[in-house]
Amino acid sequence: MLAPTTAVLLALTIYPLIYSIRISFQGESGNWTLQNFTRLVTDQFFLSALAHTLVYAIVALTIEFVLGLGLAVLLHEQMRARSVFRALLLLPMMLPPIVVGVVWRLMLNSNFGAVNGTLKSLGLNTEALTWTASPKLAMTSVILADVWQWTPFMFLILLAGLQAIPQEPYEAALIDGSSAWQTFRHVTLPLLKPAILIALLLRTMDLLRVFDQVFILTEGGPGFATETVSLYIYRTAFRFSNFGYAAAMSFVLLAITNVISVGYIRLLQTKEV
Amino acid sequence: MRKFLRYTTIIVVLMATLAPVYWLITISFKREVDQFAVPPKWFSFSPTLEHYLDAFVTRSFGGYLMNSFIVAICSTFCALVLGTLAGYSLARFRLPRNLDRQLALWILSTRMFPAIVTAVPLFLIMRDLRLVNTRLSLVIVYTAFNLPFVVWMMRGFFAEIPRDLEEAAMVDGDSRLGALRRVVLPLAAPGLAATAVFCLIVSWNEFLFALVLTQTDAAMTLPVGIAGRVTQYGIKWGVMSAAAVVAMAPILAFAMSVQKYLVRGLSLGAVKG
Repeated sequence: MLAPTTAVLLALTIYPLIYSIRISFQGESGNWTLQNFTRLVTDQFFLSALAHTLVYAIVALTIEFVLGLGLAVLLHEQMRARSVFRALLLLPMMLPPIVVGVVWRLMLNSNFGAVNGTLKSLGLNTEALTWTASPKLAMTSVILADVWQWTPFMFLILLAGLQAIPQEPYEAALIDGSSAWQTFRHVTLPLLKPAILIALLLRTMDLLRVFDQVFILTEGGPGFATETVSLYIYRTAFRFSNFGYAAAMSFVLLAITNVISVGYIRLLQTKEV
Repeated sequence: MRKFLRYTTIIVVLMATLAPVYWLITISFKREVDQFAVPPKWFSFSPTLEHYLDAFVTRSFGGYLMNSFIVAICSTFCALVLGTLAGYSLARFRLPRNLDRQLALWILSTRMFPAIVTAVPLFLIMRDLRLVNTRLSLVIVYTAFNLPFVVWMMRGFFAEIPRDLEEAAMVDGDSRLGALRRVVLPLAAPGLAATAVFCLIVSWNEFLFALVLTQTDAAMTLPVGIAGRVTQYGIKWGVMSAAAVVAMAPILAFAMSVQKYLVRGLSLGAVKG
């Protein structure tokens, strides 16, 4: 009964991977070469796409984690398992990423967008706020869309973690007379560690491969300001038909993702806090 | 005071979550004069259906919608059939040397690849097979994409069902597959339904593979159709937002129906960014 699944996965993930390794070592005439990998190191566009991806991932992850944890801690006593609030919060992360991109293009449009429109009616000068069209603000714009879509995810995973913590340690802390901060630092955080790591792991893997929203919001632009690794690989393969080089770059992305997830999993397996 | 703080937070978070979606919906119902109004018109405008008619009657979004439905339903069905069998056997049978556990982990790990890593070789393979620009190519890819998730979700649900029930059925003369169909599956039905909904959401939302594998009206899904309109000059905001609202609508219904299983699903990567 396992055979069909194994066969499908071999054919559609392992075989493409091998195929990809092969083309990454081939030159344009089909000869064997390392040039795709040596080019990586000196390709300014690739290196800056890598830098954009890391900035995007780190900034978005930090904001989403802090907001998600803050909300979870603040609200977890009030949250019933299936409240209307929780249902509504689900909305952004369930939406097609393309729709999220469209939503934020509409919100941030400098002529008629709701964000600038609202700021203007409050009497602020919004001329400089061109968001996705501005090299300086484009990165902020795509991160803003990501934070909007994925903070609820952090919140829900951390909330589930908080609600799984038993009452006893809190009662003990209360008897010992520890302050709210001490309780949070020495009781809540250690017990929440598995949930935190899982939430961070899942988000990190998704952030490193980000493509859809950025494609719609800025297409990597203006210029090159928000080009992420996935976008650059896409462009290399499907605009410039350089599949070998695209494959080589995709292995760098895969390697980075793997190293980081292995790191998280190690942390998850260590028992001490 | 604390209570006041909490309720204020809830209201602010809800507004931040819902306002952008509401803005999208209003744009799709506004005449062009109202779309570009400054300050933005949140409530007072006379609604029109012209953009919906334009998108789905005049332009080819009706066809994209159909493609999205066909691809999502077929791939979900295939993934459920294959994944349920595999999940069942992983929940019930032990292979020597922990092989079943390793197989399960390998199955899960195939889901963790960044999409762009497999998108490049899969495009070349599909091109060799002359499957580019067919719905079939997307059904195949999404089936493989959803399989690991179905296997793990169903393995968990099956493990919760006591063995005695199916063993009793087998003593009564059922084959194992008969027992699975008549005894175990009905018990796992709520879990199966939730898993199906998650798969539908993933296939419905998926963008990168659809973008790479479908470029013609015959196979293009709704997200690709929307993206095509955004990146051209002279965006038709009304058409685009009407299509985005339609792409969003089924998700709303789905999201509400899987609340109970959400955290379990999310931890296995049910929704992708």
